[in-house]
Amino acid sequence: MKKVIKLMSCEQFELLGLDMDRPDAQPEEVAAAGEHAANCARCFAMLESWRELKQDLRLLHEHTLLESAPTRVEMRLKQELRTRRETRVPRSAVAIATWALATAAALAAAIGWMHWREGGSNHTDAATLQVAAVARDNAEPTLDASLLTADYDSGEFTQLPGSMPTASADESVLQARVQRGALVQFGLPVAPEQAAEWVDVDFLVAEDGQPLAVRLHQDASSESVTQ
Amino acid sequence: MKILDEKEPGLLKWAVRGDEQAFLVLYRKHQAPLYRYALRMTGSPWAAEEVVQEVFLLLIREPQKFQPDRGELGAFLFGVTRNRVMKHLERRPREDSLDEMNANGNVWREPQDPLTPMMIAEKSERIEQVREAVLELPAEFREAIVLCELEEMSYEEAAQACGCPVGTIRSRLHRGRALLLAKLELLRDAPRRAGAGAK
Repeated sequence: MKKVIKLMSCEQFELLGLDMDRPDAQPEEVAAAGEHAANCARCFAMLESWRELKQDLRLLHEHTLLESAPTRVEMRLKQELRTRRETRVPRSAVAIATWALATAAALAAAIGWMHWREGGSNHTDAATLQVAAVARDNAEPTLDASLLTADYDSGEFTQLPGSMPTASADESVLQARVQRGALVQFGLPVAPEQAAEWVDVDFLVAEDGQPLAVRLHQDASSESVTQ
Repeated sequence: MKILDEKEPGLLKWAVRGDEQAFLVLYRKHQAPLYRYALRMTGSPWAAEEVVQEVFLLLIREPQKFQPDRGELGAFLFGVTRNRVMKHLERRPREDSLDEMNANGNVWREPQDPLTPMMIAEKSERIEQVREAVLELPAEFREAIVLCELEEMSYEEAAQACGCPVGTIRSRLHRGRALLLAKLELLRDAPRRAGAGAK
């Protein structure tokens, strides 16, 4: 609670007296300050000086009341706002593009995996079918089989299906011991019951590593005769 | 438009999203008092312009710094303005002359009241003297005078704006008034004394 000042000293007047014209001044303080100023010439003179200064301050206040930041500040801020808005659009576009790319990559990976799975099973099926087909063919000896049989006898290389005879000096002979069933991969007919047998084979290999012709060793030829 | 019906935090959200209209509502509402405060404290239209621009740029770039639960946007903006002004005053104690202010055309306006040219000149001179005297006060006393006498804030409002107790504001105002009176008496008595000396 505010202390009611009945008689104001000069020190108190210096502190509170100049507030007596303020709208938010306490009425008791205003009354006490007025009474003191009426009885003290020094404080009255100070109050008069202050009132004069207060008038000048009011003039200054009125003269500067309508002052505001120049229009160029508003323009600069609007420009900043526009720049930020414009830079925000590409950012969202980049985000969308990133998401789109990620989705596309995931989709491609999924499709690739599915194809790989389908391809793998198809490949196995194809090999099985090929072996079966060869077995069927072997039941009735074909031209290829007779050729191969003839080649064994002659000790010459048998051209593999799909390869062309060449006269290149860069060809080399690769000796290998493989299961007879593996010859199916090179388009040669193999009887299913003999597919597990091991045979010594010479491959004529081209410069690029592709096998061109195959020859079964003489000692194995008797076993390798397709049926 | 619906945006204009929004309160200040809502308007600020729109403004940050790039809504120019919402931003302008906020800017036009707050810029003038902030500019006046900065101008009266620094005495430089250029500095005041810079300060106001920086304050609103901060609002655009870092709107999260304003937290509505801590107070009004106006109080936040005033706090930022005050910090910038104080930094400016620390960096460069009043470099800009009053002549520069006049030349800029931002500060002075020819009064529109029906006074004689002599009276107008006298009035302008008095205003200029007061402005000069206010600008020469130490920053803390100047601030109290600017807020309580020029901006006509109550002691409570000024204390809130400065982040100090009401007693501190009253004390600063008391010292500021005393210094201002002394300065103006010196300014106004000097020509009189010079005139008396010449005689």
